[in-house]
Amino acid sequence: MLTVRDLYVRFGGVVALDRVSFDLNRGEILGLIGPNGAGKTTLFNCISGVVSPDAGKVFFEGRSLRNVPAHERARRGIARTFQNLQLWNSMTVLENVSVPMDALGGRSTLADALGNPMSIFAERATTERARAILHVLDLKRYANTKAGDLPAGIQRRVEIARALAVRPKLLLLDEPAAGLDAGETRRLAELLHTVRDRFHASMLLVDHDMSLVLRVSDYVYVLDFGKLLARGRPADIRTDPKVIAAYLGEATQDDSKPRAANDSPATGEQAPLLEVSRVSAGYGPLEVIRDVNLTVRPGEIVACIGANGAGKTTALRAISGVIKPRTGQVKFGGRNITGRPPEHIAALGLAHIPEGRGLFPRMSVEDTLLLASDNSPDRVDPRVAYEAFPRLKQRRWQAVGTLSGGEQQMVAIARALLARPKLVMVDEMSQGLAPTIVRQLFEMLVILRRQGIAVLLVEQFVESALEIADRAYVFDRGTVGHEAPAADLLADRKLISGSYLGTAVDEAGGVAVGANGNGHRPDVELMETLALKVPAGVKRAIEERAEHEGRPSGAVALELLEGAKN
Amino acid sequence: MSHLTRLTVAAVAFVALAWIPAGLDVGLKFDAALSLVWGFGILSLVLLTGYVGQVSLCQATFAGVGAYAAGMVVNTFHAGYVVGIVVGVVAAFALGLLVGLPALRLRGITLAIVTLGIALVFDKYVFQDHLFDWFTGGSAGWRVDGADLLGLRADSSSHLLAAYEVLLALFILTALLMVNLHQSGAGRRFRAIRDSELAASTMGVSLTRYKLLAFGLSAAIAGLGGSFYPLVAGSVSPQPFWVFTSLQLAAIAVLMGVRYVPAAALGGFFLAFVPDILTRNGHGTFLGRYSYDISYDWFSLALGVLLIVQLIHLPDGVWGDIHARAAKMWSGLRHRTERQVSLA
Repeated sequence: MLTVRDLYVRFGGVVALDRVSFDLNRGEILGLIGPNGAGKTTLFNCISGVVSPDAGKVFFEGRSLRNVPAHERARRGIARTFQNLQLWNSMTVLENVSVPMDALGGRSTLADALGNPMSIFAERATTERARAILHVLDLKRYANTKAGDLPAGIQRRVEIARALAVRPKLLLLDEPAAGLDAGETRRLAELLHTVRDRFHASMLLVDHDMSLVLRVSDYVYVLDFGKLLARGRPADIRTDPKVIAAYLGEATQDDSKPRAANDSPATGEQAPLLEVSRVSAGYGPLEVIRDVNLTVRPGEIVACIGANGAGKTTALRAISGVIKPRTGQVKFGGRNITGRPPEHIAALGLAHIPEGRGLFPRMSVEDTLLLASDNSPDRVDPRVAYEAFPRLKQRRWQAVGTLSGGEQQMVAIARALLARPKLVMVDEMSQGLAPTIVRQLFEMLVILRRQGIAVLLVEQFVESALEIADRAYVFDRGTVGHEAPAADLLADRKLISGSYLGTAVDEAGGVAVGANGNGHRPDVELMETLALKVPAGVKRAIEERAEHEGRPSGAVALELLEGAKN
Repeated sequence: MSHLTRLTVAAVAFVALAWIPAGLDVGLKFDAALSLVWGFGILSLVLLTGYVGQVSLCQATFAGVGAYAAGMVVNTFHAGYVVGIVVGVVAAFALGLLVGLPALRLRGITLAIVTLGIALVFDKYVFQDHLFDWFTGGSAGWRVDGADLLGLRADSSSHLLAAYEVLLALFILTALLMVNLHQSGAGRRFRAIRDSELAASTMGVSLTRYKLLAFGLSAAIAGLGGSFYPLVAGSVSPQPFWVFTSLQLAAIAVLMGVRYVPAAALGGFFLAFVPDILTRNGHGTFLGRYSYDISYDWFSLALGVLLIVQLIHLPDGVWGDIHARAAKMWSGLRHRTERQVSLA
């Protein structure tokens, strides 16, 4: 149903896609993997109409998509999610899901403004369908929350819900598992299968979580530097040496990993650099963390791990002053910094690299680094950063926004270093990055520690984090549930699994539908209702009948459908 | 709020506000009517900026086009004033669509500059140029002494109050439509464009269609207010619709809370009454020694200072702050009642 032929895209001097061709059949899930900067997102942009290719063709259901605007493609049944979340943040989750639904049906603006009966009826139908989708994705209790107020993991799910509301024939999923823990990822895999079976939607899936891609996909294509490197069934890809070389790098040789504790300085007796005692904080009426205690000593790497929404990010924010702690005390280098403005805290030598990196997309690499070195007390030469990250030197004149995710993270770390910090706090450094890059970044952190810089790290890749960390705090529902040397935690992963399921690659067995341990079951009936395309007149009849009999209209619709089949 | 509640609130607002200017002198009656003309101007920004996130610094130009078109129709074709209003709204709508075209490509500061340019061009080269005398009535402007709006004559003594009441009814109706729109499917599409154009377009919302529609509707709303101007003032001149008014409308919209419909009423009131009252009562001596004389410039200065204070302390505008406080109080009240109930 989707045919891509010789797609070619270049941005300036960089060839993002180099004559890529492939086919996708109805009902298939095609996995797309490849290192950062391989052109996966560009491919998505070409298919969804955000970027027009320099050469090559895209056909959808036999029709060319040339010069078809993005919104028209959505109407033809192409829906997508975004790697960097693009929800409508000031709107509620329900509204987010409603927009694509009524954008598909041609509703008149005037009728909406007048609030005439037709419009009110259409509105009710939209709301009901939107609620049904939220139900399926287990998002019902967030229906009236503003999308921007939700944690990233739930926002990802809302993105999928919104894409489903387009009634897609083709679903483009860009990193749907980024920021999800293993349990959530497994549930996502199940959900994707259910969506495929019930909606008969084909999918194109990009993700760095190999376990997800290999488990879910019927076929896997590997992209590298804009070229199609390999393709095949998941089982073949897993063993393809070319793929392992390009994508996983040396990650398979486990023993070579930097083992941190060996060269860690003896820090036990030193005065703590950062002391957090009984801090609670939150947003608006929501208290996210409470009674958080943690300590970081000079030159120590400390990891914060725990499930999504456990309060790790909020804890970092409360420490760096981005949000004000409500109670408790934060001491840095012996000084009380509780509630001080973030720039003061940063000037004391506490660098915070936020989730999403906090870079200026239009500024060049060089300017970004110069800006940081100008602001640092002793004007460090930015060349130091290029020595640590030679790759950045090649790209020094490029705008940061055009770099790949891994390179951007390098810029963020390099920038933090130029301020000569005593403590660097990194939030979700590895999110959306390929394993090779993640390894490089982790090695970087070890180098930092050798220079006497302490690191406080929030990380989804638990194992990698624990390998380089000295100690770790396990967050559980807004507070520190457990503290231990990293080596102990690593040795005894069972200890963690109580609050955290890790990102261990679960190779065993496909997906056990309907029994995922969370008690969550995709509601098949509702999905069937959703997939129905009912003429307006019939819909109204259903609606009236449902109201008359006091039953949900979905049930009535199903009954009618059964009748029609017989 | 259900439709019924909204209608009730609208009706109560109309009854409460309709009789207020009755006891005022002619100058203040004029201000009352004028406040609604500018109220429409700010309402148009609530739609364009508050809902759809597009910037415009030429809303007074749209109002001016509405005013001149109405004046022209009444004077040249001796048509009834209702026809003038319709033509004024349609003309403003058409201009709004044209201005919307660059908005398909531009956003933020560049769009602001382009719309400012449009306001300048209309101010200098349309409203004040002899080439367009057929439209503007030349340097004398249009006089509409004999205008007839459903039996309402501009030269009759009570016309200001009547014009005010008609304007008020239309204003409340438009405000009501806009509140409906905000909650409806089309409103959601508008807000989706405001929050993320990228996501909106890939989710089936046509940016071309809805951005143009937003500009057209917004201009039509501003033009509706403007088309009453000849009736209220008795004549049209370029001065009320010059660039600076557009800037003032934008500033006051932000000051009062550009996302909130009631802010338009507050803003219109502010723009029409405050400078007039200031300049009228602003002479005299202070402590019997220092004489002072407040000119219109003082108003502009005060507006600037207020805007700065607001941006620091009430980022969501005056009405936004009132709204937030009321919501907080309401939820607090409900919470307390619930607790009392559960205790009992």
